[in-house]
Amino acid sequence: MWDGIIIGGGLAGLLAGIRASERGKHILIISEGVGSLTYSSGALDFGDAGQLLNQENHPYALLGETSIRAGMDYFQRLFPDYQGKWGVTQNLLTPLGSPRKASIVPYGQNAESLQDARRIVLMAPDGMKDFFPEIIKTNLERSYPQCVVEVYPFRVGAFESWHAIGKSVTGMEYAKYWQSGPGISELKRVLNCLTMIFDGEVSSKKNETAVLFPGIATAFSDPLKEILSETPFPVIEMTAFPPSASGHNLYCALKQKFKSLGGELLFGTGVQRIELQGKLCDKAIVKSKGRYTAFSARSFILATGGIFGGGIEVTPEAAQETVLGLPLYVPAELTNSEFLGEQPYAHMGIEVDSELRPTGPGNKEVLFENLRVIGRMLAHWDPWTDNCGGGVSLATGWFAGEKL
Amino acid sequence: MSDYQVVIIGGGATGVGILRDLSMRGVSALLLEQGDLAHGTSSRFHGLLHSGARYAVKDPESATECIDENLILKKIAPHCISNTGGWFVQTQDDPPDYVEQWIKACAEAHIPIREISPSEAYRKEPLMSKSVLRVFEVPDATVDGFKIVWANAKSARRYGGQYKTYHQVERLVMEKERVVGVVTKNLLNGEEIMVGCDIVVNAAGAWASLVAGSIDIPLDVICDKGTLLAFNQRLFQRVINRLRPSGDGDIFVPHETITILGTTSQFVDSPQENDPNEEEVKKLLQIGEQVLPNLTKYRVIRAFSGVRPLHREDHDVPGVNVPGINKEEGRNVSRSFVLIDHGVHNGVQGFISIVGGKFTTYRLMAEKVSDWVAEKLGNMTPCRTATEDLLPEIPENLWKKAAQLLPYAPVGKMLERLQEDTESVLGEIQRDPRKGQMLCECEMVSMAEVEKTAADEDTHHLADIRRKTRLGMGTCQGAYCTYRALPLLWKRQEKYDAIEDELRDFLNQRWKGIRPILWGQQLRETELTRAIYASILQVRG
Ligand SMILES: Cc1cc2nc3c(=O)[nH]c(=O)nc-3n(C[C@H](O)[C@H](O)[C@H](O)COP(=O)(O)OP(=O)(O)OC[C@H]3O[C@@H](n4cnc5c(N)ncnc54)[C@H](O)[C@@H]3O)c2cc1C
Ligand SMILES: Cc1cc2nc3c(=O)[nH]c(=O)nc-3n(C[C@H](O)[C@H](O)[C@H](O)COP(=O)(O)OP(=O)(O)OC[C@H]3O[C@@H](n4cnc5c(N)ncnc54)[C@H](O)[C@@H]3O)c2cc1C
Repeated sequence: MWDGIIIGGGLAGLLAGIRASERGKHILIISEGVGSLTYSSGALDFGDAGQLLNQENHPYALLGETSIRAGMDYFQRLFPDYQGKWGVTQNLLTPLGSPRKASIVPYGQNAESLQDARRIVLMAPDGMKDFFPEIIKTNLERSYPQCVVEVYPFRVGAFESWHAIGKSVTGMEYAKYWQSGPGISELKRVLNCLTMIFDGEVSSKKNETAVLFPGIATAFSDPLKEILSETPFPVIEMTAFPPSASGHNLYCALKQKFKSLGGELLFGTGVQRIELQGKLCDKAIVKSKGRYTAFSARSFILATGGIFGGGIEVTPEAAQETVLGLPLYVPAELTNSEFLGEQPYAHMGIEVDSELRPTGPGNKEVLFENLRVIGRMLAHWDPWTDNCGGGVSLATGWFAGEKL
Repeated sequence: MSDYQVVIIGGGATGVGILRDLSMRGVSALLLEQGDLAHGTSSRFHGLLHSGARYAVKDPESATECIDENLILKKIAPHCISNTGGWFVQTQDDPPDYVEQWIKACAEAHIPIREISPSEAYRKEPLMSKSVLRVFEVPDATVDGFKIVWANAKSARRYGGQYKTYHQVERLVMEKERVVGVVTKNLLNGEEIMVGCDIVVNAAGAWASLVAGSIDIPLDVICDKGTLLAFNQRLFQRVINRLRPSGDGDIFVPHETITILGTTSQFVDSPQENDPNEEEVKKLLQIGEQVLPNLTKYRVIRAFSGVRPLHREDHDVPGVNVPGINKEEGRNVSRSFVLIDHGVHNGVQGFISIVGGKFTTYRLMAEKVSDWVAEKLGNMTPCRTATEDLLPEIPENLWKKAAQLLPYAPVGKMLERLQEDTESVLGEIQRDPRKGQMLCECEMVSMAEVEKTAADEDTHHLADIRRKTRLGMGTCQGAYCTYRALPLLWKRQEKYDAIEDELRDFLNQRWKGIRPILWGQQLRETELTRAIYASILQVRG
């Protein structure tokens, strides 16, 4: 018998598991896949909280400001490599070199120092996939008109054989290499070369240079952080086109933290259904190697990631919550013509009370006393127009872990 | 002074067919197209090269035209056609007395048919419903609309024909009772020019009445919208038709790795009304189920609609909303084509409209128009399009070179698309092997090919690259390859809109076809695509 079973090990599920384990609970996370973090930028958005807190039925409005702030603080205490302040956004760069904002940002991604720079040196690792230095240069020149932008192409011996057969190297592969032993020496060498070039210059120019580095993720790596803190110029990471090393590293860090607190993770298999006992969830049924196994727990958390995570399945006839068949909020009109504008379908999800327990359709009656729903499974929000994908998952995950 | 002997309005199959035919006869001709070539109905259709069997009972004339053209095109354009064959299947829901009538009509139209046993049929098409009653084989085939349109345009060019895309004809220019030219606007820069000519051919498809209307000539073209569904796999090996009077949702057409199911039929007020909707999609799925059980389980990539230009004979009745014509029944108007000599009908010389018809009969339509034009111009050269190959032979050594540089699967497709331009693309890949990587992994289009297409002088938008290469037409519907094409647009930024605008337009166009099929994997893909463009790349809607 577990204290809690969490279905779905993405950002929301893992954070809930960490918080609950830290409180001494005995937790099992069952997750079919790795979740969306590996696709994400690694930075976390909280959106315009002031406005969202007042938006009817929005997860923020249900939780209230205190809980959201507590979640945000908690996350930074867990991972000091992530920094941010309530109500303040930081500047960082998209994979195309345009400025963007985010609320909590991993070590290295913060691009504030570009404001004071007079020269930006864009590192261009040879043959890096989905990386377009010319476009980035143009975008930087537009956003930072006070800066001269120079592209600095360089080649890494370790990937010579890839280049020879015309195979490009993904940002993930570069980032992994920089964390390896040979990669670390190579990085030192590359940065030393730069330092030497700059040393030959007049000091004013030297002091006003910022270096942009794509395909590297320094957060959670002490050796990398150390190297980069020793350079005489700021080194700024760029966020990546999916898949991203920063997002993946955050995922790994969450998993590791959970395990180090004694949590158990059953990975690669999905929960088929939940056995009920009256108004209580009783057992999670998992199919693995052709056999069904039942796991009992006192409490359950549903963190199956909505449409993208697999927690909601839509057919031409109907939309369904895949594990318990919970009632779903489905807007009458699903779409609008402007793809990147408001899309009502994105608000599809489970309606909950202020304790995140699922409620019946059209009423506020709690369906199951010991079940909470978190993250992208919740109804009435759109991560892309509300700009709070990470915020909702983080805050609801923390809250569910706190209450379990 | 005339700039050209002939100006052709419309760059669909019919228009480019005419351009090629006239150019082969030595007539100087310019084709003007308001969008990109094939951006009208000629890329929004089923891709069925009709055997004529579908029309045998109701429209024997069309049936005969189809079977003749079917055989001709298979001979002159084999690279644009896949000779899949087709079946007509009678299900329990189809009228039993239709079969004998149909068999007789096919014989009269000289369409060869052969009955095969249901057990043999199930073996060859395992997904087909096990309750079909009778199955007949016919010489249907499938045709790649983009390819054939581009092949005609390229061939015409070799004979001296010219075309301009993104040139909208605003009005015809008259002198006395004669058309002496057109005024056309370059939609990319707003420039207006007048082009003088002896004859104007109106091949504007569903837009034909607007063109004629510019000089107050009434032309009765009914816009009949049809919606189609593209499935993400090859459900059948051959074309599957329902053996019944033509109706909605009764044909499955396989194309390479996908299948297209269609179509619906509904009169609309303008050719611009080509948004597929949910009701049409539901209807198609429902009817398709009768041939392929559990159809909704299969992944749909997108829905799309085209507008058939149908001609109605009685000139006196303007508009569509008239008693006697049922808005829902576009199928009762003949799909054969008509050639309208406006000298005879309206007293305006030097102007001819070609209306109606089918993709399958585009060559025949072009031949008829060109015969008429040639006669007016006193040109005695006979038509050669029924015998001369559309595509020049691809040299053996080019094949070999391509196969050395690229994986096997994409090679043939690339050669057929690029023809003689393959040489320069292969040269690029040789210089920089990285350009041999597949930029579009779903449709297997190499970086070098996209780069070359982006640089072509008649490519102006991301969507033009899509039509020429199939970029973004596969499973991911552009989520990844759109991003990867950006640096190639950027290199030619002088001719493209700002990258954000190109992106937004392209995504919105793709979205149009996804909105009515928003379920299953495609919905999941939508979530990812919105995340990538709205969040990762911060493109604003
Ligand atoms: C491309 C992309 C970019 C993003 N960029 C940003 C950004 O810049 N800033 C930001 O703040 N946010 C961003 N996000 C959003 C943020 O990452 C998500 O909102 C958040 O990660 C969702 O977390 P989740 O835990 O609810 O779901 P997920 O991470 O999707 O996790 C759900 C998990 O549940 C599992 N699962 C599903 N069904 C079952 C089952 N039956 N049994 C067991 N397990 C199951 C899945 O396999 C998956 O592992 C981005 C997301 C994407 C996709
Ligand atoms: C849903 C559907 C399914 C079909 N399935 C099949 C099938 O399986 N087999 C088959 O044989 N046929 C089929 N057809 C019919 C076939 O697609 C059409 O008959 C054929 O494509 C028409 O070609 P077109 O060149 O005449 O017209 P279009 O391709 O529409 O070309 C006309 C062109 O004129 C241009 N234009 C219009 N006005 C102007 C202007 N003022 N200035 C410049 N340019 C202008 C337009 O932009 C357009 O590109 C189908 C049709 C539909 C709608």
